[in-house]
Amino acid sequence: MKVRVDPELCQGHTLCALAAPGVFRLSDEDGHSYVDSAEVPPDLEASVARAAATCPEGAILISD
Amino acid sequence: MSTDARVTVDFDQHAPAYRAGYPELADDLRDRGPVVWSEHHGGYWVVTGRDLLGEIAKHPDLFSNDRDPEKGYGGVAVPSPKGAGRGGFLEMDPPEHMDYRRVLNPFLSPGAVARWQPLVTDLADACLDAVIESGRIDFVDDLANIVPAVLTMGLLGLPLSDWVVYCEPAHAMVYTRPDSPEFAETFRMIIRMVEGIAATVAEATRAGGAPRPGIIKALLDARDAGAPLDQDGIEGTLLLVIGGGFDTTTALTAHSLEWLDRHGEQRRRLASEPELLDTATEEMVRYFTPAQGGGRTVIRDCVVGGHAFRAGDRVWLAYGLANHDPGAFDHHAEIQLDRFPNRHAGFGLGIHRCIGSNLARMTFKTMLGRVLARMPDYHVDAGGIARYDDIGTINGYRHLPAHFTPGWRIGPSFDEVIGRWQEEVGRDAFWAGVDAD
Repeated sequence: MKVRVDPELCQGHTLCALAAPGVFRLSDEDGHSYVDSAEVPPDLEASVARAAATCPEGAILISD
Repeated sequence: MSTDARVTVDFDQHAPAYRAGYPELADDLRDRGPVVWSEHHGGYWVVTGRDLLGEIAKHPDLFSNDRDPEKGYGGVAVPSPKGAGRGGFLEMDPPEHMDYRRVLNPFLSPGAVARWQPLVTDLADACLDAVIESGRIDFVDDLANIVPAVLTMGLLGLPLSDWVVYCEPAHAMVYTRPDSPEFAETFRMIIRMVEGIAATVAEATRAGGAPRPGIIKALLDARDAGAPLDQDGIEGTLLLVIGGGFDTTTALTAHSLEWLDRHGEQRRRLASEPELLDTATEEMVRYFTPAQGGGRTVIRDCVVGGHAFRAGDRVWLAYGLANHDPGAFDHHAEIQLDRFPNRHAGFGLGIHRCIGSNLARMTFKTMLGRVLARMPDYHVDAGGIARYDDIGTINGYRHLPAHFTPGWRIGPSFDEVIGRWQEEVGRDAFWAGVDAD
């Protein structure tokens, strides 16, 4: 699984970091989300999927 | 494909019927939605569908937040207020609004907010200490009005003790209906508050800078292509921070404490499983939606989500109703403390997302946590509950009295806490990281 945060859509709601704190990091500048690596470890796939489902802006994009 | 078939409903978020019917009236509207037309306030669209609202919020190029009578733009309040200045960057469109958000963001990111946690805990405990031996509290007057107000003073760089100057007008300007007899006095208080802010800004400008670190100083020091920010924009932004910082968190806290009192099992669960506090906070924001909606003006004829809008149309994004859209939230009428995913619109959506959301969460969780820990058997005095007469702007409470088994004080007095923290926030080290750019 790969994950990407669309910086145009992310508005810093921070709910992704609640779902998968090990994957999504929040900018000190504006609280917007980013990932250090697009590759999602298998044991975190479920929580990343939950993060995508809870993003109010639909800013988290998952691909195979 | 678009439809011009307009569904007209008798709807007014400022009316007593809305206050009495929220949130259940979302059920009546859902079959008519996701967007309906109201003839009140000169006519406006009411967007109640969660997905349509999200689409509109993504289009600041089509839906303006600006308030500019010459352009026919009415700003974010429906009806549009007469005579008052713009409401800071919330009533600006891009790119102008970013001139201000860029300055405020570093004060309000999750990392920046964490530095205020010890202050908020001390303040909450001092507020509870003041009443803990009496066995009686008004959760609004004695706690939820005070903590966010003092915190906002600190963020702005005003003396912490000045919270009393702004507290009453900041709440009254939200809950007083313009057609009520109290409005004249409220209006005078607001004018005095606005004049006070203008004087503070003018004095700091004359002195060559604000006396303390904080948002006021940052706004005065900011330069956009070499030029300082517009004076009206700064004053409007300060009023916005005070309005947003004072009233919304108060409303959320009061609603949650009142609901938890009526749902004892959930209250015991939340008290014994503090790890639920994160999802519970989002769920309370969804269910009660302190800021009930936001107005827009259509910039040009367009079709969004299959719905046609005409240039100049007024639109009200009903966050509080979209948060009860059954298409987006299973069992929307239930509070589920562990609801997740929860893609609520309670902080707004799009580029105008509540800039203080992280601060609000932290303050709310702290106040709620301290009450649950120190007044575990509190019981609301139902006869003394006073909700706002008009919840169409902020879904809040004026008073929420309760009683509980008396306890013991655990810390210094409120004034001592204020004094100690005034020194702390005066140190540059406290603000480390804010001027990163």
